[in-house]
Amino acid sequence: MKEFMLIFIGTNYAEMGLSPEEMQARMGNWFTWQQQMEKDGVVKNGNALHPESRRVVGADRTITDRTSPELKELVGGYYVVYAKDIEEATKIAEGYPDYDIGGTVEIREVMVFE
Amino acid sequence: MDHLFRHQFGKMVSILTRIFGLTHLETIEDAVQDTFVKAMLAWRDKMPDNPEAWLTHAAKNRTIDLFRKLNAEKSRISNFENGPNAIAINELFLEKEIEDSQLRMIFTACHPSLNPRDQIAFSLKTISGFSSKEIASALLLKEETIKKRLSRARKTIQSTAISFEIPQGKTLPLRLNIVLEVLYLIFNEGFHSNKKDILIRQELCGEAMRLSQMLLNNEYTNSSAAYALFALMCFHSARLKSKVNDNNELVDLKKQDRSQWHFPLVMLGDQAMHKAVGEHTVYSIYHYEAAIAAEHLQAKTFESTNWKKILMWYEQLYEIQPAPITLLNMAVIHLQLNDLKNTIKLLDQITPNELEQRAYLFHGTLAEYFQKSGNTQKAITHLNQALDLVKNKSEKQFLLKKKEEWNV
Repeated sequence: MKEFMLIFIGTNYAEMGLSPEEMQARMGNWFTWQQQMEKDGVVKNGNALHPESRRVVGADRTITDRTSPELKELVGGYYVVYAKDIEEATKIAEGYPDYDIGGTVEIREVMVFE
Repeated sequence: MDHLFRHQFGKMVSILTRIFGLTHLETIEDAVQDTFVKAMLAWRDKMPDNPEAWLTHAAKNRTIDLFRKLNAEKSRISNFENGPNAIAINELFLEKEIEDSQLRMIFTACHPSLNPRDQIAFSLKTISGFSSKEIASALLLKEETIKKRLSRARKTIQSTAISFEIPQGKTLPLRLNIVLEVLYLIFNEGFHSNKKDILIRQELCGEAMRLSQMLLNNEYTNSSAAYALFALMCFHSARLKSKVNDNNELVDLKKQDRSQWHFPLVMLGDQAMHKAVGEHTVYSIYHYEAAIAAEHLQAKTFESTNWKKILMWYEQLYEIQPAPITLLNMAVIHLQLNDLKNTIKLLDQITPNELEQRAYLFHGTLAEYFQKSGNTQKAITHLNQALDLVKNKSEKQFLLKKKEEWNV
């Protein structure tokens, strides 16, 4: 089994003005997806990330706060999952519940050094 | 878990408004919204054992955050995080106090200085946790319109410095009347519009009933009129599903499948009605309307409806509230009883324009009257007038069907 990181990009709920009802529904979808992965035993770990972020750039270690146009590319969270190959990892990623609100999943194999 | 977020949103906004005041309403709504975003992220992997307690806990933390935030803006708010004030805040999160806060919000939303249309939008937003988009789709209006109404309501609340409380003394009954009116309007938005799908209609009716129940839980607001209104809502809701068929067409009372009527709601309504009627009760319009609805529910078949009794209730209703729609309803019953003389006598008293969007019902009834009198030509003329005025699709189909039958 290989490990893949599913990186969730571009859904900052705070900026979307979702109603409480919509949030509850969305949360329910995530919960269902998560339960399914749990059942299949494919999740290694995962986290949600705060939208506030900061970058340190260049030799001078310039510190910048993220500007709003970059929010579209904001990483909102990730899971590390077990899969046979990238095809199987992609299948898992298809269950991600936020495609309809512009979310993207990037799938990257975790490097193993032996 | 049904509507947990939505209901919890209303609770939190009310509690926080009680603590910080209506001037901070927008900040409070944003803060609560933020709590839900957090809950959503936290819960998607693991649902808490007691979601409601989790949210309440989060709301308390939000309170403290807000104190810090508002404290930085204005120095007059003292340190609430510790000491006796912190204890006072904890008490505001007890069930009884939460309900009290929500009632204060209801009275704020239904304050007479607010425009009646704004009252509905503001109630749905602040107490029921609907977004402006959801309110728009529930009321079949543009989201822009709703946003305008909400912001006008907020401005009015700020500029007239409405106090966040349950009115007392002589003003209470007057203010309570307005609250009942607004709740009934919300209910009717759900009950009467056949353009909306059944889910939205159930939601609106359900919300109106939930808010009414809050009034019944409080010793100052559980008036007999409030009980009667709740009973009326139960009786109507019991028939909600049978009012439309699978094609979302209107089914009139005559053809409704009475076995589909929801019995537990009828029982609930009966219980409320018992509490609404006492020895010295002055009957409200809701008492009469509930009595009429109950009479329909008691009839096993359409044919066995006790029209005479219903007519009596309508006549008494007309005495305390002389509305043209009541005259029309009375005319319909006379028609039902084949009493054509009294039918036309009542119809002659109505100016159709007064019925506004329901003027088509007047022409529809007049058409029936002429049909029964054997004057098919005049019947068709009025039916056509009704068809010109009717906006509702399923009611239109209903009239068209009738026209087909009569044209033979």
